[in-house]
Amino acid sequence: MERFLALWVEALAHETPDGAASREYLALLDALTALCPFTEPVRWGWFILPIRAPSRFLGGETVVLDAARTLVHDVTGREVALGVADGLFCAEQAARRGVVLAPGATEGFRRSLPLEALGRRDLATTGHRLGVHTVGDFADLARARVAERFDRGVLVLHQVARGELAELPGQRDGRLAARVRELRGDVVVGDEQRGFFGSRGAGDERAAAAVQRVRHRLGSGGVMVATLRGGRTPQDRAALVPWGAPTPTSHDDAPWPGRLRAPAPVITLAHPVGVGLRDVTGAPVRVESRGLLSGAPDTVVWSARTSRTVTWYAGPWPTVERWWTVARRRAHVQVVLVTGEALLLAAESRRWWLVGIYD
Amino acid sequence: MLRPVALATTRRLPLADPWCTMVPGGGLRRGATVAVQAPAGAGGLSLALSLLGAASAAGHWVGVVGVDDPGVVAMGDLGVDLRRVLFVPRPRGAWAESTADLLDGVDLLVVRPPARASRPLARRVMDRARERGVVLIVLGEPNAPWPLPADLSFTVTATRWRTSAQLDARYLTVRVGGRGEASRAGERVVMLPDHRGRAAAS
Repeated sequence: MERFLALWVEALAHETPDGAASREYLALLDALTALCPFTEPVRWGWFILPIRAPSRFLGGETVVLDAARTLVHDVTGREVALGVADGLFCAEQAARRGVVLAPGATEGFRRSLPLEALGRRDLATTGHRLGVHTVGDFADLARARVAERFDRGVLVLHQVARGELAELPGQRDGRLAARVRELRGDVVVGDEQRGFFGSRGAGDERAAAAVQRVRHRLGSGGVMVATLRGGRTPQDRAALVPWGAPTPTSHDDAPWPGRLRAPAPVITLAHPVGVGLRDVTGAPVRVESRGLLSGAPDTVVWSARTSRTVTWYAGPWPTVERWWTVARRRAHVQVVLVTGEALLLAAESRRWWLVGIYD
Repeated sequence: MLRPVALATTRRLPLADPWCTMVPGGGLRRGATVAVQAPAGAGGLSLALSLLGAASAAGHWVGVVGVDDPGVVAMGDLGVDLRRVLFVPRPRGAWAESTADLLDGVDLLVVRPPARASRPLARRVMDRARERGVVLIVLGEPNAPWPLPADLSFTVTATRWRTSAQLDARYLTVRVGGRGEASRAGERVVMLPDHRGRAAAS
């Protein structure tokens, strides 16, 4: 089970009609994403982030906790409850109690929780009548005995109590991700009103007016603006978001280990194109387990009829991200073609992809 | 107190080294059309974006129309201030209309017309840019050039990559031409990008 830092900002637990809470929540999400790119919005008011990577990067969990607390205070001025534990269920319970569990202490913590923590009142009342007061007592009941008395939902809770499942059903708000996208994609009113305080010049007003005309013509996704964030590859670091979406306040100065060096490709494909890479014998070039190429690239193949000879190549530069959960293994190579074009290719899931062009 | 509406210097937008030494007046005249022509993948886009760098850093808004997947990191390296860039990546059939709309809101605009631009459309876009005082930078390829003569033109005639354990820098041979004084500008080799991703004299 992954070790999470859970953040609970009680004041942002519900969307407010004027949109202030959601704006704060999004601003906070952006700021936390700058701290840890794997921050997840769980429910209104709640965030989790896997704490292991940032604590290694910043130098300890206490540093991350302090950074998170300061960040919430700076961005929203609100109080935040922090908790660290394994799995979403325990992380949330830890945050409600404001405790940071040492590695390995989650099991004992979960067992000591009152039965109410599982969120079913009928289970709690019946349990208390039977002398089952804590999650641990409940976990010790035989599965068949639980099944005799309760419905299937409680059986799932039983698995959570035993630590077989990491989170309660419904603990993540399934509609939240869509709502966040919606809020970002549309014009955020607060973003447009900064001009009243003189922070936007005449040029900004003029640009905003022109944008409205183009959007009217092409739709709300017609005009995009750029954001930079942390990441290893040019395509990870850059993103185009529709005009009006709040831009993250993050800055891109933090060193990312394994980042590809400049120059960066001036075209980065948002949807990489699958290509073939062959060595001189015509066999596909593979990235072997030790991070070496099976052969020197000789041809880039776009289709049965289109291929180009490679005159020079460099790499591979392997990047393994999130290796402690779902590994995303990639390796990048740069190639120069006989036509003089230079390309950035990535190997991922046993295929080669064109990800960048040095036009 | 009365002041002139526009000083001679404000009618030119700044250009960074090495372009400022290659262009008459050392800057881009407002309302001018600049044609950048290069074979596919030969540095035309880098060249066009690097012309934006100095003006963008000085606070001018810029627009980029018709470039599907702009490399934002590379643009930042070229000196473009990403906070003031508007992208219209896929104008679909309405590239000229979107360009015209955007000309009202920016001071420089890079446009890559899809395939071949028709003369009347090109004329209309150029007139609009002149009227609005916007520097219009059009990207073309040898087999699909901008259909009308431009005030200033940059043509990439040769490219060569300098490599070490990775791509280091690219030498572009660029011929500068145009109308009036610009017609005498000549040919130069520049590094674009250099090892920091910028444009530099070689």
